[in-house]
Amino acid sequence: MSRPRALENIRVVDFSWVRAGPWATRWLGAFGAEIIKVEWPENERGRLPSTTTPQNLEVNLNTSGNFNDTNVNKKSLTLNVRSAKGLEVVKRLIAISDIVIENFSSRVLQKWGLGYEELRKIKSDIVYVSMSGYGHTGRNHHYTSFGPVAQAASGLTYLSGLPDKPPAGWGWSYMDDTGGMYGAMCALTGLYHRNITGQGQHIDLSQMVASVPLNGPALLDFTVNGRGSRRAGYPPGNRAHWPDTPLVNNYRGPTVAPHNAYRTHPGEYNDWCAIVCHSDEEWQRLVQVMGAPSWATSPRFATVAGRLQHQEELDDGIEAWSMNLGKYEVTGRCQAAGVRALPVQSAENRVEHDPQLRHREMYLAMEHPMLGLHKVQNAPFKLSETPTSNHLPSPLIGQHTREIVEGLLGYTHEELRAGFADGTFWPAKRVRFPYMEEMLQ
Amino acid sequence: MSGAQPLPGPLAGLRILELADETGQFCGKLLGDLGADVVKIEPPGGEHNRCIGPFLNDIPHPERSLAFWYYNTSKRGITLDLETVDGRQLFGRLAATSDVILETFRPGFLASLGLDYESLRKQNSGLIMCALTPFGQTGPWRDYLSSDLLHMAAGGEMASSGYDEADVPNAPPIAPGGGNAWHTGCHFAYMAIMGALVYRTVAGRGQYIDASIHEACALTTEAAIANYVYRGEVLRRQTGRHHAARPTPRTQFRAKDGAYVCALVAGRLTPKYIGELADLLDTNGMAGDLRDPKYQDPAVIAANTSHIIDDLVAGFIASLPAEEVYHAAQDRGFTWGAVRAPEALLDDSHLHDRGFWKKLEHPELGRSFIYPGEAAIYNGSPWRISRRAPLIGEHNTEIFCDELGLSRAELSVLAENRVI
Repeated sequence: MSRPRALENIRVVDFSWVRAGPWATRWLGAFGAEIIKVEWPENERGRLPSTTTPQNLEVNLNTSGNFNDTNVNKKSLTLNVRSAKGLEVVKRLIAISDIVIENFSSRVLQKWGLGYEELRKIKSDIVYVSMSGYGHTGRNHHYTSFGPVAQAASGLTYLSGLPDKPPAGWGWSYMDDTGGMYGAMCALTGLYHRNITGQGQHIDLSQMVASVPLNGPALLDFTVNGRGSRRAGYPPGNRAHWPDTPLVNNYRGPTVAPHNAYRTHPGEYNDWCAIVCHSDEEWQRLVQVMGAPSWATSPRFATVAGRLQHQEELDDGIEAWSMNLGKYEVTGRCQAAGVRALPVQSAENRVEHDPQLRHREMYLAMEHPMLGLHKVQNAPFKLSETPTSNHLPSPLIGQHTREIVEGLLGYTHEELRAGFADGTFWPAKRVRFPYMEEMLQ
Repeated sequence: MSGAQPLPGPLAGLRILELADETGQFCGKLLGDLGADVVKIEPPGGEHNRCIGPFLNDIPHPERSLAFWYYNTSKRGITLDLETVDGRQLFGRLAATSDVILETFRPGFLASLGLDYESLRKQNSGLIMCALTPFGQTGPWRDYLSSDLLHMAAGGEMASSGYDEADVPNAPPIAPGGGNAWHTGCHFAYMAIMGALVYRTVAGRGQYIDASIHEACALTTEAAIANYVYRGEVLRRQTGRHHAARPTPRTQFRAKDGAYVCALVAGRLTPKYIGELADLLDTNGMAGDLRDPKYQDPAVIAANTSHIIDDLVAGFIASLPAEEVYHAAQDRGFTWGAVRAPEALLDDSHLHDRGFWKKLEHPELGRSFIYPGEAAIYNGSPWRISRRAPLIGEHNTEIFCDELGLSRAELSVLAENRVI
């Protein structure tokens, strides 16, 4: 590749595990930074347990599909940081790195002797991003979280669901994904600041706290107007407003109808299409798309107030039409007429059918030594000078230990072998992978 | 805050021009709250999303939209009609001295005015321009219309979120609320802009960024794509917990006060965990038979998973208010959380310890209001809200006259001709 990379010559010491931290460094790697993932198989979390190993492969440290997608663009160094020798190695690595990032609970790095005060002694302008559940300051810093807990405690879960039902919440760890985003955002911002001022710093990110600003308008409705979200008709499912409840904005955009998901043909699990009309004109276009059925031309649907008032009947009428068409057909007909509509898409729909994602090359196949050739997710942005790319499959555990220890840090091959024998680079009694044996030849 | 001169934010010294509607304004806020000088350029009369509620005291007015207030902190505001010759010329002058342009117009709109990136960079080779649009600048859906709900549908968020059949029969897929399609697009746009800014500190050159909200949303469903790519699985929706290929035990339990608690228990049930769980449940005398030695046998635990979760854990949570369960559990090392409505966060002591809530003055109203604060504490270059959202054209004089050098008379002419 001859194209320059945005983070050329930037090195990241990545202690992160599970999802949020690795999702952050994945993007720094896509920008071209060298990501050195420091791992230890005895307390690994992210490679195992794996529920995404292909059915034909044995589940082991190197066969998790989700680990692969979450950890492309990285190198792996296995190292027992809790040993004196391991600590010495990692300090030599930090001394020639730009960023240290981790998502342990709040006091772990300090206990290892790698708190910010120590880090800056090793590398004075280091950018240190800690991504703990509750942050390093505040009385609950020792609390632990992952996505669903951060979402619950921050108010995000509450915003999802039907009125008078339990919260539906988020069907995945939104705040592991988004917490990862903030980890990358903090690292890039700290790096920019360092390049301009020469100063490093400790950036104290909290997954739970980062969730709270995502509720901005709901919070202001309370702090300014005194109106809380625990109220009749909230949350209104996929609607902008729940019928027969007070007309109050729901923090997702304008209060309009139609604004819902409608069943489509053939009525299977993910056969739904979302349709929204932001104006009377858009509604009239939808009426035409539906073939101007007599119910829809009734004057009571001509205004947004009327459509909100008769929303049940409106939604029933639209669904009676949409049920006869596939979701992509509904989408195509609506969009061709200037009506807002998009299909509910499963993962399979996105990977196999979505013509836009295909055009934009969202999923490109990449070879992994154990998993084989599989599609990997790409960045949702295209930079004209420094395009991001997935240039390395996820590392096998310890795949780059020799390259880093000897090549980068200048230890001798004998020292590498000694470190394997004494449990610094791999647990002494644990079976080694074949590529480790080769490394020690 | 101490009396000493406060440290500047990490993006101090950067000038951002924001031409963004509801889809991109959060990205401008992220940049502005970290110290960049974000100049929001609105059409004369103001951006249309000033009409999105809720409004201050429920009185609709373009200066009273709380959504607009929230997403436009730390920005200065000017008005400018880019479809006039004067407007384009003034925009060109602003672009010549700016670092980043963030724009959310439909693809091709700025180019149709001669304000495409190639034209603007001629006078400013360091300029970075980020176009954040629903589908990007190319492709068959490029000109499709969208909304937050539509992005949650096509991006896959809805396919993952919803209800167990037992809780809500025939439930639709549910799009979580709060405008998170826009947030997700803005997070990635911010990242792309920062990548370009870091590169510029080394190479000196700017670049063009084509960012897509649809792609950002499609990337934000954790392992759903991997489950399909590696195993061909399409996941099912479950109440208040992860999508899954096969049903998993519930994790959301109703507490005594009617609020819910998210308690992750299944998958952790070892003999050691059972002992800790018994200690927790015993704080309210609800340990049941958990101290029975039979639970030292993993096989017995496995055979009694439903009893442990649906009787004992559920019973314990039902015996106390959600907040009490949350703190009692977390203090003992359990990764549990109360499902809170957003307003409950105002009473969260941990957030107060972190100085999270900010009091922000609205001088024209003679009042101050509490705003949410920062995701992360930047210890060397603090995050701060530098000002409340701009009033319509609030900084026209400051920017057009004091900074670009127009006379007050010229400014009046521009106003009379609806250029500003």
